[in-house]
Amino acid sequence: MIKRLIDWLKKPLGLIAVGIAFLALFSLAAYGISLTQTAPAQPVQFPHKTHVGFGIQCLYCHPGAAKGPSAGIPTEAKCWGCHNQIQKTQTSALLQPLKDSVISGVPLQWVPVAQVADFVQFNHRAHVAAGQNCENCHGDMSKVTVAENPQVFNMGFCLKCHQTVAGDNHELLVKLTDCGTCHY
Amino acid sequence: MSNKFSRRDFLKLAGVGAATTAILTGCGPASRFVKREPYMQMPEYTYNGLSTYYATTCRECAAGCGLVVRTSQGRALKVEGNANNPLNLGKTCARGQATLQGLYNPNRVRGPIKHTRGERLYTADANPFQDEFADATPNMDWDAATQAVADALKNHKPEEIAFLMGMAPDHLFDLVTDLAAATGINAPVRFGALSMFESRATLSQAAENLFGHGGLPLFDVGGAEVVFSFGANFLETWLSPVSYTRGFAGLREAKTKQRGTFIQFESRMSSTAGKADEWMPIRPGTEAMVALAIGKLVSDARGITVPHAFSDVDPVVVASRSGIALATLQHLAGIFANSTAALAIPGGAALGQSNGLAVAEAVLALNALAENFGRHGGVFFSALAPNQTEYQRPASAREMQEFAQKMADGKFKVLFVHGVNPVFELPASLDFKNALKGVEQVISFATFPDETAFESDYVFPDHHSLESWGYQRVVTGPAQSVLSGAQPVVSPFYDTRATADVLIAAAQLAGGEFATALPFTDEVEFLRSKIAPLMEEKQSFFSAPDLNTFTAYFQQYGGWWKTSDGRRVPNTSNALGREMSPAEAKFAGEGEFFFVPFVSPTMAEAGANKPWLQELPDPTTTVMWNTWVEINPVTAEELGLLDDDIVKITSEAGVLEVPVYRYPAIRPDTIAIPFGQGHTAYSRYAEGRGKNPADLLGQHFNEAGDLAFAGMKVKIEKTGKQQPLSRLESIMGVYGVGLGEEK
Amino acid sequence: MAIELKISEVKMSAEQSGKWGMVIDQDICTGCQACVAACAMENNISFVGEVDSGYGRSMHWIRIERFWEGEYPEVKMTANQPMLCQQCGHATCEPVCPAFATVHSQAEQLNLQVYNRCVGTRYCANNCPYQVRAFNWRDYKRPEPLSNQLNPDVTVRRVGVMEKCTFCIQRIHKAQDVAKSEGREVVDGEFTTACAQACPANAITFGRVDDPESLVSQLMKQSHGVKHLEELGTLPNVTYFKGG
Repeated sequence: MIKRLIDWLKKPLGLIAVGIAFLALFSLAAYGISLTQTAPAQPVQFPHKTHVGFGIQCLYCHPGAAKGPSAGIPTEAKCWGCHNQIQKTQTSALLQPLKDSVISGVPLQWVPVAQVADFVQFNHRAHVAAGQNCENCHGDMSKVTVAENPQVFNMGFCLKCHQTVAGDNHELLVKLTDCGTCHY
Repeated sequence: MSNKFSRRDFLKLAGVGAATTAILTGCGPASRFVKREPYMQMPEYTYNGLSTYYATTCRECAAGCGLVVRTSQGRALKVEGNANNPLNLGKTCARGQATLQGLYNPNRVRGPIKHTRGERLYTADANPFQDEFADATPNMDWDAATQAVADALKNHKPEEIAFLMGMAPDHLFDLVTDLAAATGINAPVRFGALSMFESRATLSQAAENLFGHGGLPLFDVGGAEVVFSFGANFLETWLSPVSYTRGFAGLREAKTKQRGTFIQFESRMSSTAGKADEWMPIRPGTEAMVALAIGKLVSDARGITVPHAFSDVDPVVVASRSGIALATLQHLAGIFANSTAALAIPGGAALGQSNGLAVAEAVLALNALAENFGRHGGVFFSALAPNQTEYQRPASAREMQEFAQKMADGKFKVLFVHGVNPVFELPASLDFKNALKGVEQVISFATFPDETAFESDYVFPDHHSLESWGYQRVVTGPAQSVLSGAQPVVSPFYDTRATADVLIAAAQLAGGEFATALPFTDEVEFLRSKIAPLMEEKQSFFSAPDLNTFTAYFQQYGGWWKTSDGRRVPNTSNALGREMSPAEAKFAGEGEFFFVPFVSPTMAEAGANKPWLQELPDPTTTVMWNTWVEINPVTAEELGLLDDDIVKITSEAGVLEVPVYRYPAIRPDTIAIPFGQGHTAYSRYAEGRGKNPADLLGQHFNEAGDLAFAGMKVKIEKTGKQQPLSRLESIMGVYGVGLGEEK
Repeated sequence: MAIELKISEVKMSAEQSGKWGMVIDQDICTGCQACVAACAMENNISFVGEVDSGYGRSMHWIRIERFWEGEYPEVKMTANQPMLCQQCGHATCEPVCPAFATVHSQAEQLNLQVYNRCVGTRYCANNCPYQVRAFNWRDYKRPEPLSNQLNPDVTVRRVGVMEKCTFCIQRIHKAQDVAKSEGREVVDGEFTTACAQACPANAITFGRVDDPESLVSQLMKQSHGVKHLEELGTLPNVTYFKGG
C-alpha cells in the first residue's frame, strides 16, 4: 500500500502534487506571518509628521517615556484641547472619530505599532535617562504619516545598541547584555 | 477619589492570525497587535505604566488589617499590608493576599436580581477548569431594587424586619444600628462561622465572671516568656492571626531575654501546636481540670496557699483522666511557676465543649496566679475601637438558634442578609435553610452567589470590599484604639451598589422615621458624619484643621488610630476567690471517637471561592482542594484504613463521607475535619468540593451560649470507596492513575 | 565576542558567590502560607486545579516543608522550612540546559530562567537538588476577569516552559530604576521580595549579601545559620536558622 503511494509520488504527477501541497503550505504560512506584521487600521489617520512639523516635542504627547516604563498614548482630552481651538480641525471629517469620542466618552482604540514581545520587560525611562533620543528606536517621525514602525524590535536590534553603548566598560556590558535585564 | 477611574481592559487582544503567531512568539499574547484605549481624562496622580497605591481595609476576616493595594490603569494588581496600621504593621496573611481573587472572581453577582428561591445563580454541573460559565443576568435596575427595599421597610411592622450581618463591626453595622434605634426595627445581628469556632461569647462571659466586666481579652504573647495555650489556634484564624503571629515571633526571637517557651494543650496538633515546644495531646473535655491542676501545682511549687479556685482539684485524678502524666504536669507547673512572665490562653476547641465556660475561667485564673494582668506579656482587655463604648460581640450560636426559631415561627416577615452565609456556616442541624421558609421576603446583599443568596427572593449585590467605602473597628490585636478605613481602590466591576447607599436611598423613599433616621445623601456623607467626632480626639495619629483634610488623611493613611496605649487592665481582685469546677465536659452522641472540627487555616469560612487559597497546602497535612478526616495511623490500622479511603462518619446530627488522611499527631481516640469546604454554591471553585463538617454538628451549647462544636462523639465506618487527596508533601504526586479512576 | 571572554574570567569562589540573599528563620515561621500566596499573586503563577496538583504539578515557587519526627505521642513537627530557589552561586540546573535558558546572571548573580529560550526539556528541574522548579504542563486557564490581576512586570508563562523563583527580580529592577532616577544607590530595606513583605512573623529577610552592612549580611553572621545541601558545592544564597 505504502509502497504504491511512494511509487506514485515518484512519478511526474506525484512530484507536481507534492510541489503544489508544499507551495500551498508555504504560502499559508507566509500569509500568516505577513498578517502578524501588518498593522490593523488606526481609528484616526494620525499624521505624526504634521505634528512634529509644528515643533511639538515627543514628550508633550508621550510624557510617560521620561517617567516610567510606558510612553503612553495621549488622552482624548489632550488631543481635543488643541484641536478644539483650531477652526479647521474642529470641523474636519478626518477628526470626526476624535470628536465623537470626546462627546460620547468612549475612548479611541489605537493600535500601537512599536511593540516588544510579552517576554521582554522594556522601560522607556531608563533609555531616555541614558540619553537616547526617541528617533534612535522609533525613526524620524517627521517623515511618518500614519504611525508605522521602521524597526523590527528583535533582540539583535536591542543588543547591538547595548553593546555599542557599553563599549569597553566591562561592568556596563555585563549589565546591558545580561538576560535578566530584559527577560523575567 | 478613585471612583472616577474608568475601568477598561487595557489590553484587548485583536485576534489576527492567532495560531501562526502563537508559534512565532512562543510566549505572550496570541496576537502581535493589540488595541489600546487611552484614558479620556488622565487622573492627575496617574501615569502610564506607573502604579498608584491605595490604603484600605482587608475584609477577608473580621480582624480588620490595613492594606495597601497596588493599582495600575484602574486594575488592582497586588495587595500588601499597610505599614502604618498598628494592627498588622505592613503584614498580611494568605487570605488577605488572595483578596484579589475575590474581586476578580469569575462568578460574582453582576447586578440586582429578582430571584426564585432555590434557583441557581450560575451554571450548574460544569467543570471549573474547562467549561464556560453563565452567570445569572440582572433582571432589575437599581431604582426598582431600591424601591423593593423601601417597600420591605415601609410595609411591615418594625418588629417584623430583621438584619443579619457579618462578624465585622463596620460602618454598615453602625448604619443599620442607627436605623434600628430610630425606627424600632430589630437591632442587627452579627454572626460568622469564625466567631462560632472562636467561642467569642465564652471568652467575654468568662472575663465578666472573673473580672466583673465583659470584654475581649488580649493576650500579649510577644512580651511573655512562657505561653500555655489551651486549644487557642492563634497562629491560624483565631481572633487576629496576623497580630498574634507577630506576637509569637516576639516570643521566639526575644532580643533581651531567653527564647520564650510555648506549650499547647490540644487533642490534635494544629499548625499552632506544631510550633509549640511541647504538644500535650490532652483528652478532650479535661482542659478545665488540667488548667486547675496546673494552678494547684504552681501554687505548691511556689510554696503559697492554694487559692480557692484551685483547691477542688486532685492532680493525680487529673493525670489519669487527661492522659498527661503527673510528672509531666509537675514539670509544666514548674515551667509556669519559675517564669516571671507566664501567660495562659484559652481558645479553640477547648471552649467549644459543654464546659467551655469553665475552661475559659480556669485558664484565665491561671493568669491571675501568674499576676500578669496589665503587665508586659500578660492579659489585658483589648483597646476599645473609636466610636465604641463597650465590646460588641457577634451573636453566639444559641442566639442564632433563637434567631432561626423566630424565622421559622414567622416572627420575621423581612430578612436582610449581608456579609454572612448562614446556610453554609451554621450547623446543618439548625436548619437555617428551612427556617428561611418562614420569612416572607429574604433580601440578600451578597457579593458572591453563595448558598444564602440561592435561598433569597432578591439579590442586591454589594460591591466587593476593594470597591467599597467604609471603615471597620479593630476589636482586638493592637495596643491602640484603631479604626481601619476603607476606600475603593478600583471602580466597581459590575453593576453592583453599596448596601449603605441602597439603604439610605430606600429609607428616603420609605419616608417617615426611616428618612429622618438616615438623613444622608449617600454612604460617604454617612461615613464623614461618623469620622467627624474623631477630629476632636487627643493623641491621634494625625490631626487636621477641617473635615475635608481629615477625611483625606483618613483615606491616605487607611484609617485613624491613637498613639496611646488603650488597653484596659482587668480588675482581678476576685479572680482567684471563685469556686471552679474541675468537671469533665459531656459529649453528645454515641461512638468511640471524639470529633474535632477546626477552621481551615488557609481557607477559613469564606476562602473557598478563591482558587489560589484552594491550592495552598494545608500547613499540617499539605492537602489541597479538598476535605479530609485526620485519623491516627494506629487507629487507622485497627480499622483497616489507608490514606484516601473514604469513611462514613456518623454523629447524632448527620452523616458525612470523607477521605482519610493518616495524621501522626492526633490522639487515637479523636478525629478531626477542617471547616471551609463543602459548598453547594459560592462559585465554580468552591462548589461540590470537599465536605462541610458543620453537617455533623448537633445543637449543644456551653454555658455561655456558644456551640459545643467539639463536644460530640462519632462513629466511623469504612465504605470501601476511595478518593485520592491531592497533597504537596508527596512531590511526585499521589495519583498512580487519574483522579477518580480505580487504583 | 567580548562577552564570552569576560565570562571566563569570572571566578567561582565562595566569597564571590552572591549579590542578593535571603535569611529565613525557621523558628518563627508558622507555616501560614502567606508567603506562598503573596508569591503567587506577585508572579502571575497559575493555579493548576485538584487533579494536576495531585500529580505534583502545582506551580508554587515557594513551598513550606514540614516533616514528622517520632511517633505518637512523642511525635514532633519539625520547624517549618520554606523552600524556594536558593539562587545558587554554582547552580546544578545551569550546566544541563541545552538551550541556555537557565543561565547565571552576571549582573545580579541570580539563576535566571529565560522563558522565551526554554524548550521544556525539564533537565534543570530534574537536576535541582532542592526540587524548586515548576513546569507548565498545560496552558492553565485564568477565566475572565481573573486575568485582570496579572502583574504587568512579570511575563505570563505558557505551556512547556519551566519557571521558578526569581527573587522578585522585577522588584530589584524597579528599585534600581527608582534609585537611579533619584541619583542614588539602592538602600538596604528599600524594597523586598513579595514573600518577605507578606510574612506576618517577619521570618524572611532579603537584601544584599555582598554589603556587609546590610541586615541580611548581619543575620548571616549568626552562628546558627545553615545553608541547605551546601556540601554539594552549590553555593546557595539562602541561609536558614533552624528551629528550636
